Amino acid sequence: MQILIDVVQNFLDGIMVGSSYALLGLGFSLTFGVMRRVNLAYGSTILIGVFAGSTLLRLMPGQPILALLITIGMTVVAGIYVERLCFRAIPQEAALASMVSSFAIWMQLDEFVIQSPWSQTYAYPFPSPFDLGSLEFGPFAARIDYLLMWFSALAVMLALWWIVYGTGFGRSMRAVSNNIDGARMLGLNVNKINFRAFLLASVIGGLAGYLIAVSQEQVTPHLGLWATIKGLITMIIGGMGSIPGAIVGGLLLGIAEIQAGWFLGAEYRELVAYLLLFAFLIFRPGGLFGRTGGDGIGTDAQRV
Amino acid sequence: MLVVSDLRVAYGRIEVVHGISFEAKVGEVTCLIGPNGAGKSTTLWALAGILRPTGGRLQFDGRDIAGLPTHEIVQSGLSLVPENRLVFPNLSVLENLHMGAYQRLHADKAGVAADVERMLAYFPRLRERANQEAGTMSGGEQQMLAVARALMARPQMLMLDEPSLGLAPMVVAEIFEIIGTLNEDGVSILLVEQNVQWALTFAHRVVVLDLGTVAFDGDPEEFARSDVVHEAYLGRKSLEERP
Repeated sequence: MQILIDVVQNFLDGIMVGSSYALLGLGFSLTFGVMRRVNLAYGSTILIGVFAGSTLLRLMPGQPILALLITIGMTVVAGIYVERLCFRAIPQEAALASMVSSFAIWMQLDEFVIQSPWSQTYAYPFPSPFDLGSLEFGPFAARIDYLLMWFSALAVMLALWWIVYGTGFGRSMRAVSNNIDGARMLGLNVNKINFRAFLLASVIGGLAGYLIAVSQEQVTPHLGLWATIKGLITMIIGGMGSIPGAIVGGLLLGIAEIQAGWFLGAEYRELVAYLLLFAFLIFRPGGLFGRTGGDGIGTDAQRV
Repeated sequence: MLVVSDLRVAYGRIEVVHGISFEAKVGEVTCLIGPNGAGKSTTLWALAGILRPTGGRLQFDGRDIAGLPTHEIVQSGLSLVPENRLVFPNLSVLENLHMGAYQRLHADKAGVAADVERMLAYFPRLRERANQEAGTMSGGEQQMLAVARALMARPQMLMLDEPSLGLAPMVVAEIFEIIGTLNEDGVSILLVEQNVQWALTFAHRVVVLDLGTVAFDGDPEEFARSDVVHEAYLGRKSLEERP
């Protein structure tokens, strides 16, 4: 009986943790879906945002809303830097070149945070604005700040769904994602649409970073690598470029990690994440919601 | 209306169009025919702004369009219906049509809605499938959608790249009937087709491309009489042997 209670509790915790993974996966999937590129510097742009938020909280304590805005804002600024350098500057056909350069920028941004004159220690405190304890119902408990995180993530996912399927901008993104040449032919400004999709992904990333930092109450420069790995795993198991995939994949990853960590030991938590990735790559490489490719002028060898 | 002068297009260092010149007059159906690899699609893509010409001039309605981005060329009144349709498979028929009028979507909502109605009237089969995902439709229906979508931009000249490709003969007949009606309604047509027989029933002018050069430029009667052209076109003597 106790095991059942543990499983359900882990399930609840897993959903909370998984919601932040889902947001990271959404950022990657959005970029991949629209631009057919993986932005390897995504996690580091989030690190920049969170680092800026942490610095702000050190200089002006007790300003959670401002910290949120700064976190999102600086993630967006870093995102624009990456977009201009790695994706806009490199022509359409050189997909690999843009992804490799985003890898280089990932390293650059990480180093910048570590070496920056504003960083005092290796870990940057990120005080939580909430100290609300937990909600207990029956044998289960849920930390209230985790619950808030989950609801914010849910709100973001719903907002993103509405943007992608219910607005003209979303329709343009879906058109470009289906068929970039067809979209260009109809007069869509693909560069502008790519840029806006990138901005949207950065905003989501900044929010994800804030929520993660608040729940951990501190951030280390490892966040860049950590967010990149979690986000990529989520995107791959959910299906590259798929929005519902990123959501379900993230939740699945979170639940798997928490269950494994509880029943097998903390050291198995990370291992299970990679095992899950491996299993998907072998048995279902397209991911849960693997998207179908669109037609294009020329062969698909030109696309990644 | 459309004047091509000494157009050269290359893929990297390989030139595939070696300085061709022809004219597509307003109100007419101009047919660009020729065997595979002749450079017909390449020419259309250069006209549509997808490829940048390496030489020559392209003038549409008196305006130089060589090297302009596609959305500006579409705005000038020249639209392309590409080979293989290139409809947006995950968008519905209606969404595809709205995308066709992309540049007017906010400025002219009423006009766009009226045009969507007009397209659904031209193509009743699309009306039946208005909310269906485009990727689930048959080849012929997708072709109709591709034509309708290009028409949403209210072009003065419509370029079609092999509209009959991969379609059943009855469907091809329908498509060409629509093209004919469009021309009667005032849209100038530049048609690239391998299906010569169909192309010739409507053409006011025939231009034959072979390996990147113009092998013939004249009206359909001259074309039917000319032997040289049959040879250039796959080396066959008889028009009846066309697939």
